[in-house]
Amino acid sequence: MRLVQRIPPEAPIDSFYHHPESNQEMICQGTACFVARGLNPRLWEQACFQEKRVYCLGRCYAAPSRSSDESLPIVEVHSRCAVVMERIGPSYEALWMARSRTPGRIVEDIEASELRGRGGAGFPTGRKWRAVHRQPSHIKYVVANADEGDPGAFIDRIIMEDDPHRLLAGMAIAAYAVGASKGIIYLRAEYTRAHDILQKAINEARVDFEFQIVRGHGSYVCGEETAMLNSIEGKRPEVRTRPPYPTESGLFGRPTLVNNVETFATVPWIIQHGPETYRALGFSKSRGTKLVSLNSLFGRPGLYEIEFGIPVRRICEEIGGGLKNGSLRGVIVGGPLAGIIPPSLLDTPFGFEELQGIGAAVGHGGIVAFDESTSIRELVEHVLSFAAYESCGKCTPCRIGNAALVRSLQDRSLKRSQWDEIISAMARTSLCGLGTGVAEFAQSVSRYYGKELASCFR
Amino acid sequence: MLQVTINGQSREFPDGYSILQALHRIGIDIPAACFDERLEPFGGCRLCLVAVQGMARPVTACNTPIADGMSIETHAPEIEQERRTLLRLLAQNMPRHSVPAKEFYGCLREYGLESAMHGPAGAVDDSHPYIRVDMSQCIACFRCVRICADVQGQFTWQVWNRGDKTEIRPDSGTTFLESSCVSCGACAHTCPTGALVDKSILTHGIPQKWTKTTCPYCGVGCEMNVGTRDGRIVQIVPVMDAPVNKGHLCVKGRYAYDYVHAEDRATEPMIRTSTGWKVVSWKEAIAATAHGFTQALREYGPGAVGVLGSARATNEENYLAQKLARVVLGTNNVDSCARVCHAPSAAALKMVLGTGAATNSFDDIEQARTILVCGSNTTENHPIVGARIRQHVLRGANLIVIDPRQIELAEIATIHLPVRPGTNIPLFNAMANVIVEERLYDQDFIRARVAGWEDYRRFIQEWTPESVASICGVEADLIRRAARFYATAKPAMSVHGLGITEHSQGTLSVVSLINLALLTGNIGKPGAGVNPLRGQNNVQGAAHMGCEPNHLTGFVPIDAGRELVQTVWQAPVPKYKGLDLMQMMEAAEKGSFEALWVIGYDILLTNPQADRTLEAMRSMKFVVVQDMFMNETAREAHVFLPACSSMEKDGTFMNGERRVQRIRRAMPPIGNSKSDWEIICAVAKAMGHGRHFEFESAEQIWEEIRKVWKVGAGITYARLDHAGIQWPCPTEEHPGTRILHEGAFQTGARAALQRVEHVPSKEMTTDEFPLLLTTGRSLFQFNAGTMTLRTPNVVFQPTDYLDISPDDAGRLGIVGGEMVTLRSRHGAIRITVRLSPAVRPGEAFTTFTMPDVYTNRLTGPEVDEITHTPEYKVTAVRIEKE
Repeated sequence: MRLVQRIPPEAPIDSFYHHPESNQEMICQGTACFVARGLNPRLWEQACFQEKRVYCLGRCYAAPSRSSDESLPIVEVHSRCAVVMERIGPSYEALWMARSRTPGRIVEDIEASELRGRGGAGFPTGRKWRAVHRQPSHIKYVVANADEGDPGAFIDRIIMEDDPHRLLAGMAIAAYAVGASKGIIYLRAEYTRAHDILQKAINEARVDFEFQIVRGHGSYVCGEETAMLNSIEGKRPEVRTRPPYPTESGLFGRPTLVNNVETFATVPWIIQHGPETYRALGFSKSRGTKLVSLNSLFGRPGLYEIEFGIPVRRICEEIGGGLKNGSLRGVIVGGPLAGIIPPSLLDTPFGFEELQGIGAAVGHGGIVAFDESTSIRELVEHVLSFAAYESCGKCTPCRIGNAALVRSLQDRSLKRSQWDEIISAMARTSLCGLGTGVAEFAQSVSRYYGKELASCFR
Repeated sequence: MLQVTINGQSREFPDGYSILQALHRIGIDIPAACFDERLEPFGGCRLCLVAVQGMARPVTACNTPIADGMSIETHAPEIEQERRTLLRLLAQNMPRHSVPAKEFYGCLREYGLESAMHGPAGAVDDSHPYIRVDMSQCIACFRCVRICADVQGQFTWQVWNRGDKTEIRPDSGTTFLESSCVSCGACAHTCPTGALVDKSILTHGIPQKWTKTTCPYCGVGCEMNVGTRDGRIVQIVPVMDAPVNKGHLCVKGRYAYDYVHAEDRATEPMIRTSTGWKVVSWKEAIAATAHGFTQALREYGPGAVGVLGSARATNEENYLAQKLARVVLGTNNVDSCARVCHAPSAAALKMVLGTGAATNSFDDIEQARTILVCGSNTTENHPIVGARIRQHVLRGANLIVIDPRQIELAEIATIHLPVRPGTNIPLFNAMANVIVEERLYDQDFIRARVAGWEDYRRFIQEWTPESVASICGVEADLIRRAARFYATAKPAMSVHGLGITEHSQGTLSVVSLINLALLTGNIGKPGAGVNPLRGQNNVQGAAHMGCEPNHLTGFVPIDAGRELVQTVWQAPVPKYKGLDLMQMMEAAEKGSFEALWVIGYDILLTNPQADRTLEAMRSMKFVVVQDMFMNETAREAHVFLPACSSMEKDGTFMNGERRVQRIRRAMPPIGNSKSDWEIICAVAKAMGHGRHFEFESAEQIWEEIRKVWKVGAGITYARLDHAGIQWPCPTEEHPGTRILHEGAFQTGARAALQRVEHVPSKEMTTDEFPLLLTTGRSLFQFNAGTMTLRTPNVVFQPTDYLDISPDDAGRLGIVGGEMVTLRSRHGAIRITVRLSPAVRPGEAFTTFTMPDVYTNRLTGPEVDEITHTPEYKVTAVRIEKE
């Protein structure tokens, strides 16, 4: 059968995205830049007056930042050994090793490593691979989610810029394991340098596997895997309902393995060093290492590979060097659409379940500290505006709920009970993590900063 | 079966059900604003959430499949609370004034949230004649967008922006009327709010009563529910589980019903006097009719009288019309408008395969890997089949379009062969040549089921694509590619329209198309076959019931069926050969045909050579017209008998895939009008044949039809109450037949390939008449515009237009909208020019809807040599600037 893409007219779909057409300078309005706005109030003001908002350029170590800023962050290994940061370059040794085993064996190895997805949800990677591996279809895809949109994260960006072949090798291994014939990297529009480096790497990679980069056009929700698949297909990038899951019916309705960049980048190491070696790193149900990115308010902003289990306090104080100035008011881990860690809970170990226990999340791994120059009310307004701006608009709670919350902050139109009712509906009925993330954030604020939040209501 | 607990009760469901389907099945209703059973689950509104034991969060019932052992709560307090919150969020932006008849308002009412609506009123787009647009009432369920794309395939509704800035707009960027909308009305039907709403219910109120019936327009046979209020049709919606239309309708079926209530509806019997028409009683009118025919029979004999049945009337009525002709008038001079459309298809299919009807069904469309559309502008003239083909092609099937014009389907076709009008046979022969020469034929099928192979193989050798390319105006390579698709990407299904049949070699064109199916084994299988798209609701039935000079009911040749019919009728079937419509007109011109009864058929407007038809009519001594309107033909009649519409009576229609379906009376007859069958019975009685016409209901007539039509004997009204049935259906236990010729042909094990030579049309273009004109119908206007011209469809197409290519227009110095004289060898008309990039230079197209244009003054005398179907598709013309 001929594969006909239903190509609806472009203009309405283009209107979904906000990335500027030209190479004009973009000034970041992301969370790291927001909390650091005091460092350059004029730049922040310019950011707020841009026609199209820009939430995160992946330069949080230099926040408040702009797209012309070419500085690079500190990159260090603070785990027992380098996993993702072990540079492999264009040698595809891990791929050749993998191909000497059966695909089923590779899936078993990934399962045995207990690797969990690094995109935010922490879903067991091996289980996902198995689900795609199991599908009988003769056409399957692997897709790398390089739409690192969570404000505060510059992890995938640096992986792709520093060691692009690591991502390609991981994808090729995954494709071999699940039986996919093509690999697509969905790269966010803001990462122009990463694009050039990746494209060059694809051109020089001596592997018999087809890679394609598809560039985003500016939309946070495209980091959600099903919205991303719609975007790749040229459709309006709304979130799809699940089931069916992409493992069964993904890109163009074919079984599709979607993992984020860091997840794929971990795979070559596991193949080369064995799943047990990997599993020995980390703790509890969070095995291995994680890259975390620290924002500009820290003494040593940068990108660090740590092992799961390390207390958040050590990341902030020992590795990050504490705040440059002022006193810590809270730490936003894994993007703004998650819970905040108040200073009193900094001893919580860095792990999926452990952070979940205090209403926070590992998320993508961005760590944004904020100080007393940011009030809770301002933070809430910032996060909710961000969420409302980026909502795809498909589901009721996120489309209307977000907008209602933002409006109520401006005109105090909601009573506390009404606010809670909307938050609860968003938590329980949203279609994707954008809506539920807003609820997690709001619930966390209410739990740890209840007094400050009270000023927001009628 | 899966065991599922719903609200504490254990239930069983088959695998594959969604939770929502399971709930619907056991009658549990939950709000689901973005759900429509015709569409893929969307999961946007989130209202259909239910609690499933073991899940941390509620799930949406629309997309979640049931699983064995699942325990579901549909109305748990927290679920209800969340629904209420979501409903309140949706309601808050809606203006308070709204359309209470739509489902979403019922939902708000149920949750006591009507007062939550306090959004500002928005701008109303009132441009469309049938649909009001008020996007301030939109709840962004995208049902309109999705049904437009995934059912109709039109992509008219577009979604702009994102988040709470999301907006749905027509693709015009301006008004809805100016958009690409084809007015199928699916969006207004599915819209759960007042954002898109049928204007009719705003004007006339919502229906008090619904009646399930079958569409009166084309031969697709869509089932519809007709909503009436105080005896007036106020809304028509599709039947959701209808086998043909599956919950869809087109602009004609859904909206173009105002003809029923037209002010100029003729509802009184009338007799022409020296001073003009005089309204009379039924008694007088019947007596006048009986008298007129009795006198004609006495003076001129049965060879000089005839009856024309109606493709718009029911099977029962057509059966009675031919019975009256044969029993009461003693003549086989009976015909119907099948003569001017698909008689060649019926003849060719009967001749080669043994059954004169479509071999397959519309449900085969979705099973075909390749669809070959020939001489049919399907999306306009059989819109529901067109939409189904379109959807299937958008989902990956191959489509080959053979049509002179760049029709809508050609735009999405894998290959479009823009054949020159009148050259179908060389084109089909060349495709056959490729199939034979490249050995793409189905050897096994030919060995088992085909005769005449060696002979045909020799014959087809010389028909190379290169040898026909210049005749057909199609590149040889395109012909080769099309042949390869048809022969190798199987199953391949052909559907054809009047572009194949309305030619001087119409029947043989169909035969050469059948040859392709026989060569490739594309017959007797799902997703294959040769399928004429019948033009009118019951044109298949009219001829099949016996309104045909050479055939009795069941399309049985007279001599073969005579014995059975005579036994049932207790009356003789006339022996001598009858005249068909064309022969009747010729005989009338020569003075040997004197009396004609025309039922629901405007022959004057639709026959070719209108001027000659008029002379023929005027030369007859006695003409009766039975119709809903004083049509062009009626102006020449002596007696007018007012018939009622299909909305006002019971009976059955037969669609183009051999499916007999019920029509049901939705309202009493308007004025003094009567059903055709009642009128026919009354005349028969008045002529002394009451005992042969003692029928009290349509069903009683059907019972007699079952006795004479063995192949349909298993079809009863009781069975039809559930669903239509496709013949052959010989017994009451027989399920009906979707695909013909599965194991063998009616005529035996084998069907013979036929050598078909090409005889070019006599209508040649010359320097004097340089353009080739084809005529046809359009999306908005149906045949003679008797029905559609009396509806707001005139907003979309107010008149007949002459479509010509911008190239020709440029050369002639004509602009769009200009009035010109169009002249052929046979006559001239005045018509407005429209520039159409779909028409090739040297060709032209127009409809034949308007009495004040009278397109058929141009068409000529040539007819198909076998069936006498006129050559409407080829007329040499020239444009004269005024």
